[in-house]
Formats: sequence, structure tokens, C-alpha cells
Amino acid sequence: MNEALWYASRAAGIASIVLLTAVVVLGTVVAGRRRPHDDSATVAAATHRWLSLATLAFIGAHVATAVGETYVSIDLVSAVVPFTSSYATLWVGLGTLAVDLLVAVTVTSLLRHRIAERTWRAVHWATYALWGFAVVHGVALGTAAEPLLRWTTALCGVVGLGAVLWRVNVTTHDRERRRAVAQQEWS
Amino acid sequence: MTRTDTLADVLDAAGLAGRGGAAFSTATKVRAARASHAELIVNACDGEIGAAKDGWVVEHHLSELVHGATLLAAGRRRGVLFAAHRGSRTAQLLSAAGLDVLEAPPRYVSSEESALVSLAGGGLARPMTKRVPVVTGGRDSRGARIRPTLVLNAETVWRVAQIAERGAAWFRSYGTPTEPGPRLVSVSGYVATPGVLETQAGVPIRSLLDAAGGRHPGAPAVLVGGLGGAFLSPDEAGRLQWSRESLATVGAAVGPGVLTVLDPWTCPLDVVGQLLRYAAGESAGQCGPCMFGLPAVAREWDDVVLRPSRAGEDRVRRRVELLPDRGACRFPDGVGRFTASALRVFGAHLSLHAGGACGYPSRRSESRAAVG
Repeated sequence: MNEALWYASRAAGIASIVLLTAVVVLGTVVAGRRRPHDDSATVAAATHRWLSLATLAFIGAHVATAVGETYVSIDLVSAVVPFTSSYATLWVGLGTLAVDLLVAVTVTSLLRHRIAERTWRAVHWATYALWGFAVVHGVALGTAAEPLLRWTTALCGVVGLGAVLWRVNVTTHDRERRRAVAQQEWS
Repeated sequence: MTRTDTLADVLDAAGLAGRGGAAFSTATKVRAARASHAELIVNACDGEIGAAKDGWVVEHHLSELVHGATLLAAGRRRGVLFAAHRGSRTAQLLSAAGLDVLEAPPRYVSSEESALVSLAGGGLARPMTKRVPVVTGGRDSRGARIRPTLVLNAETVWRVAQIAERGAAWFRSYGTPTEPGPRLVSVSGYVATPGVLETQAGVPIRSLLDAAGGRHPGAPAVLVGGLGGAFLSPDEAGRLQWSRESLATVGAAVGPGVLTVLDPWTCPLDVVGQLLRYAAGESAGQCGPCMFGLPAVAREWDDVVLRPSRAGEDRVRRRVELLPDRGACRFPDGVGRFTASALRVFGAHLSLHAGGACGYPSRRSESRAAVG
């Protein structure tokens, strides 16, 4: 039973990072300057939203099984409060921090119609941080005996980083003109 | 009843409307300002091309202007801000009088109501999207709270002081029942003595031009309201009156009270082209119809002047129809109106160009100088 939980936790973890990366990439696509403007925009935005909920299920399973199994001691407290685990304090803590941030991102997204747009946006930026924490957490704790897990996580890191770089560097006629005008005397 | 409520009632009885161009009821704005504890900005920027009346009020009636501002700001904690273009004579006069001057960059859209509020709040002097009137505050496009601010044109504030002093009946003894009160008009361009006139609604436009020494007989048109206004043909300038109804018959408006007589020696199509290029450069780069629409209009105008054709005119017309009601401010709307009226008044001259005959000695002149 305990062994099953251990494997389940690994599996849910690796599924989580793959899904989370997909969500982040979709996020950069729908939020980027050169975002799609036709039907595919709706598809991309909806996939971003629904896939993020699916990701939550796998992350939930990953945390629950990690607490449940007893090979390493991760208790309920360290599943919520970062850097309190006696096992791999830093690496487990990064995972916990990522989950906490994800809760904030999810809650503000569900309440998006009730809060200020910029509050939602400010919290949503935390996604990039939590995704980075999750990747580091995954690479650091990926089981050495099975390099496939570690490499999958690392690959997620490369793909996500590529998406972020694309978002930062992509430019459009619109953006260039706004930037040029904003550099004139306006105050 | 508080003092300001009484003031609003008197302004209501007087029928004072804002003199910055929109002609909105000042009483309504003052009541809203009272309800939302709004700050006061007196707009003395003279932002429209050819406008000079705000500076005239500051120069000749500063104590009454300050008195009006004091009445409007009664009971408020913070001081009143007087907005003027940086480096302008108006700004110097206001500073010399020890007033709190909000120095706006000398850009066309920077003296717009919400641009001044943005500047006063520490932001850039660029218009903000208004989901609710600025006088009630609301939030900007990023969700930050906007401080409720009453922005009134300098002439409006001066009129408030006059009405408080002399009463609504005195005010209504000038003008027409729908547009009561004395009002200022800046006359510029090719008249003998450009300057600011004290007048009222309902007088013939010709009498205003005559009071400024008379327009040059060869002037191809008179521009009413600057870059946000409309052209009058010489015939229209001779027969229309300075009132909303009369000007509306040719799609023009009283606006901020500016009359500009065009250069008799320069092709008016070139003058329009210069003003459109200026307009394109004045966009704050925030809204599509403005940042892309205005350069497109300027380009298409130059095209149609260079190679006149019905198709080219239609292209300008269609482009102009895309401008209104889509920006944070009314700048694209105004330039659209300006361009449409240029097509209307100079359409015949455009046909002459098609035949290769312009007739004006100068086909080129320096930007803005052509309209004074």
C-alpha cells in the first residue's frame, strides 16, 4: 500500500508539472502581445482555464499521496507551511510554496469578476514564480533511479522558459508605436 | 442648504454651460463635485489651436478668476490647481500671483480634462478612459482609483464669479435663451487685429471678424473651433451667427470659442494637410483610432491632394467615419469632424487640383503658422 502511494505520488507529480507547464505556455500565448484574435483565441483561453483546473486535481493527488506515504516524513503542516519538512527541507518547501501560490492564483481567478482587474493580474504574475519553484522542486526530488522523470521535468523547464522568453521579446506594430509615443514629453 | 448648493442653484438659474468646448451644464458638474468631494482644477491651457481666451482671463481678470475658484472650492481642504501649458505666459502670470500651477506639457491632448487629472495625480498628462465622469472619480483602465476632480475652463470659473456677484438675471441679459451669458471668442489668423473679443451668442460671425479688424477678403475659409472644429466657406462666414443652432446647420459648433481666418495665399488643402500631420503627431498612443487612424487620415489626405479622385475622397470619408466614439478622449472625433468639413468646404477646390489648377501662389508653408 505504502509503495503504491509512493509511486502514485511520483506519477501525480510528473503529470502535474507537465500539465502546469502546458497551462503556463497557454497563458503566455493568450496574454502575449501577438495573441490569437480569431476563434483560436477562445479555444486557447478556454483550454488555459480548464486545463488549469485539471492540473489542480493532479497536484492535489500529488500532495495527498506525498503526505500519506511514509517512506519520507512529510506531515500535513509541511504540506501547507513551506520549509517545515524534516525531509529535504528546501526542495519540499519549494513545492509547498508553489502550491500555496497556486491556491492564491486559483482563488483570485475564481473571484476575478468580483475583484479589481489589477489585483487579479498582480496575483496571476505569481504563476511564473510558482511554476519555476515547481520545476526546481521536480528536478531536485526526481528519483535518481528513474532518469526519465527528472528529464521530463527538465524538458518542461526548457519549454516553459522558451514560452516566457517569447512573451518578453515578441513585439508588434501596436507595441512599438505605443512605446515610441510614451517616450515623448507627457509630464 | 450649504453654500455650494446655493451656488449651484444660481448657476442653474443663470444657465451657465462650460466654456471649454463641451458646453455641459456647470451647475450639474458643481453638484456632482459637491457630492463626491471633488478637487478643483481650473483649466487655463488654451489647448485648442488658435485659442487665447483662458490666458486673456488670467491676464485681465485674475482676481475674479481666483474668487470664482474659491467659491467653487468652498469647504475643501486642498488647494485649487490652475493648469497652464509649461513655459507659457499664462503659467508665468499664475505663478507670479502665487497660485498653485499645474504645468501641463504643451501637447494637444494634455489639456483634456482627464489628462490634467492624471497629471495632477502624479501620472502622465494623457487622457484616461472614463467609465464614469471624472468629477465622480472612478477607476482608470488599470483599476487604480481616480481622485474625483472638478475640471472647469478658466472662462467658466470667471463666469461663476461674475454670476455670484451680479446674479443670474444679469447673466441672462446676454446671449440667447438657450445659450445665455457673455462669452469670449479668440480670433486669430488673417485678420487685422487678432485677439480675444467679449461677445455673446446670437451675433453674426461677420461682426466678430469685423471687430478683429475684418478678415482678409481673399481668405479661402474660416475655421471654427480649431483642430476639433469645422471650416466655414467665406459665404457661410458671412451669413451665419455665433450660436449652436446656426453653426450646426453646417456641422460646426461654438466649441471652445475660436475663429481662425485662413491664409489667403496658401492652398487651404495644404493647410489641412499640415494640421492633420500635426494631429497625427499629437496622439497619446493609447487608442487605435487615434494612434493609427490619425496618421492614416493624414496620409490619405496627402494622397488625395496630390492625386485628386472621387475614390480618394471616399477613402478619406470612410476612414473618418471610423474615428468617433472609440477613444479615451474626443480627439479622434474632433479631427474626424475637422477632416469631413475640409472635404465639404474645399471639395470644389479639390476638383480644381484634379485639373492641375490650384491658383494659390504658395503651395507650401510652415506648419501651424498658416493658421496663426
